[in-house]
Amino acid sequence: MNHYVQGDPLLCIGCRTCTIACVVAHEGKRIFEIDPDGYDFHPRLKVIKTWSVSVPIQCKHCENPACKAVCRSDAISTMDGKVLIDQAKCIGCKSCAEACPFGAIRMVALGFEVNPDGSRRSVALKCDLCDGLEGGPACKRVCPTEALRLVDEDGLSHSLTLKRQNTLKAASAPELCGRPQP
Amino acid sequence: MSNGVHEIEDAKLLFVFGYNGADSHPIVARRIVRAKRKGAQIICVDPRRIETARIADLHIQLRNGSNLALVNSIAHVIIEEGLCDDKFIAEHSLGFDEFKELAAKYTPESVAEITQVSPEDIRRAARMYATSGQSMILYGMGVCQFAQAVNVVKGLANLAIMTGNFGRWGVGIGPVRGQNNVQGACDMGALPNSYPGYQNVTVPEIQAKFEKAWGVALSNKVGIPLTQVPHYVLHESEEKKIRAYYVFGEDPAQSDPDLAEVRESLSKIELVILQDIYMNRTGQYADVILPSTGWNEHDGVFSCCDRGFQRIRKVIEPPADADVLTDWEIISRISTAIGYPMKYDNTEQIWNEVIELCPGFYGATYEKLDKYVNIQWPCRSRDLSDKGTSFLHKDGHFANPDGKAKFSSIDWQPPTELENDEYPLILSTAREVGHYSVRTMSGNCRLLRNLEDEPGWVQMNPELCDELGVKHGELVKVLSKRGHCVARCLPTDRVKKQAVYMTYQWWIGACNELTIASLDPISNTPEYKYCACRVEKIADQAWAEKYVQDEYLNIRQSMGIELKKIGGRAA
Repeated sequence: MNHYVQGDPLLCIGCRTCTIACVVAHEGKRIFEIDPDGYDFHPRLKVIKTWSVSVPIQCKHCENPACKAVCRSDAISTMDGKVLIDQAKCIGCKSCAEACPFGAIRMVALGFEVNPDGSRRSVALKCDLCDGLEGGPACKRVCPTEALRLVDEDGLSHSLTLKRQNTLKAASAPELCGRPQP
Repeated sequence: MSNGVHEIEDAKLLFVFGYNGADSHPIVARRIVRAKRKGAQIICVDPRRIETARIADLHIQLRNGSNLALVNSIAHVIIEEGLCDDKFIAEHSLGFDEFKELAAKYTPESVAEITQVSPEDIRRAARMYATSGQSMILYGMGVCQFAQAVNVVKGLANLAIMTGNFGRWGVGIGPVRGQNNVQGACDMGALPNSYPGYQNVTVPEIQAKFEKAWGVALSNKVGIPLTQVPHYVLHESEEKKIRAYYVFGEDPAQSDPDLAEVRESLSKIELVILQDIYMNRTGQYADVILPSTGWNEHDGVFSCCDRGFQRIRKVIEPPADADVLTDWEIISRISTAIGYPMKYDNTEQIWNEVIELCPGFYGATYEKLDKYVNIQWPCRSRDLSDKGTSFLHKDGHFANPDGKAKFSSIDWQPPTELENDEYPLILSTAREVGHYSVRTMSGNCRLLRNLEDEPGWVQMNPELCDELGVKHGELVKVLSKRGHCVARCLPTDRVKKQAVYMTYQWWIGACNELTIASLDPISNTPEYKYCACRVEKIADQAWAEKYVQDEYLNIRQSMGIELKKIGGRAA
């Protein structure tokens, strides 16, 4: 199963520490360049806030990804349990951004790659679970309220078990749940 | 705070009043989230749907500026329904009978219109607070930044006294102060009326003690509060006038209300000295600038809002070519130059002098700070067993000479400048996470500047946006009687239609151009949370965008910020 990072709106305080951590993780030492624009500020997740919810939205690393299905340039692949975009192959057609049901892909202009006409190359960008970076997803590591978790097979199965137990409690007579009282 | 920040997690009920932890202090907000996970109930009192409101059991979305009416009404219900801790009141307090008379007037029905809160919600809040057995109040600038501020704090203290929520673990009343070391500034006597350790300048014995320690004659007169500087420059008689202004880690030309008046004052003062780590708005009026080291380039002691002393340690050396000194070295040199030789070798020597002169801090030695990391005053003994005081007022013993808590009987008063036909909206200043205070630090951090940059946002209810015909991200003009500024529209249903919110760090979207210098008579804190304003659509957006760009460039250039282009991309 592909892994993914899931936010819990009951724990999230909308502080966007994850947003900054994402950029720092992907840009590395470039953030210390003397040139103020010597790095790209392109967070791969977006904290959304509504009346009742604050939570970051990011790629779910679908098992049968719509983005991959619509990509005409073979830029999207599944590798090591992650859905990844190869920006070198991306032609900037935006189909994946439109196809993603979660709004997890956005188009960004890369600072370091220039089109033949001098404009900056615009490519698709999304969460790569900090592929190849030490310590796993940076967003999860820095969250002050531990609102983000990396969901793997065990994690998903555990949360499903809890939900099934809650369904049982809600659906059955209370005396059927747990041990009989002494 | 009467109780430690760490105790927040153990309260059974958190009464969060005018305090937006998620935006001001994510690290304290984390404690609120943990308390909730441990089963605490939360009441959130705030006109906005802030993060704490989302997880609260009860969100009281009161009308801006109605704080004391609500607080007194909650007290009314607690008395009416017999939920007081009568034993605690009898043994540990004075003035309850008088307070009962005042509270009798504040029925939930009578304040429903002022507060825009239903009587049922007021009753529910009162019952929840009074019956949890372990209720803690946290309040912030939503209480303090009003012309009626200190009296609301006293009103909140009334609630804690009448229900016996003082002097135990996980109860009490917590002003979660705005900035990391503002408690330290007060602890160290950076107030007009006290020496370090809250020792009053008007008490002759205290004066004698400091005169002996420092070997100089000292004044017994209370000084001038920061927010009254404009008055003392512009409107006082010649002999009382302020002539020199030494500004240190502060940016009044950005942070004080009614900036037009502040600028006029700064231009008229004969001498302005700025001591800071980067150039700021006040620096543009400075005759002398003293560059100092940043937080990671020097040692020191910070006080947390819960009275906890913690050491800060130098992490890096300042750049070799930077002509900077630590703040204490600058102060020592200035002092020596004006005739009082001051010499320290390190911060421990300074700290030892502080704790020697302050009985409440006496036991908080560097040795103990190293050993225990955090020491909350009072810590009166140097014995290693005295690890400080997590909560105050143990066994109902209060700091008054008779050891009793005092009830305060004070009526609600409306804010100074109410909405009117010309300015139909309420402007309240707020915080956003990412940018700190006046942005002297965070505005110079490129990651945070990329996260949010000039001209900043004005939070508006979507219905208001529709009425004005403005959309997300559009530049709008915000005006008050005192001035105007340009900011981007941020539609959000987390704010009510009657009020708009802006953060105060932006140079272009400078909401303090609009705010009113109406001060609380006791704390001298301005009414940043309430003035009348108007929002106008700007028809020519292209012009507005250019205005913002040009203005940003002008300000940066006038501050001497180099806008070099390296590698061919625009800076």
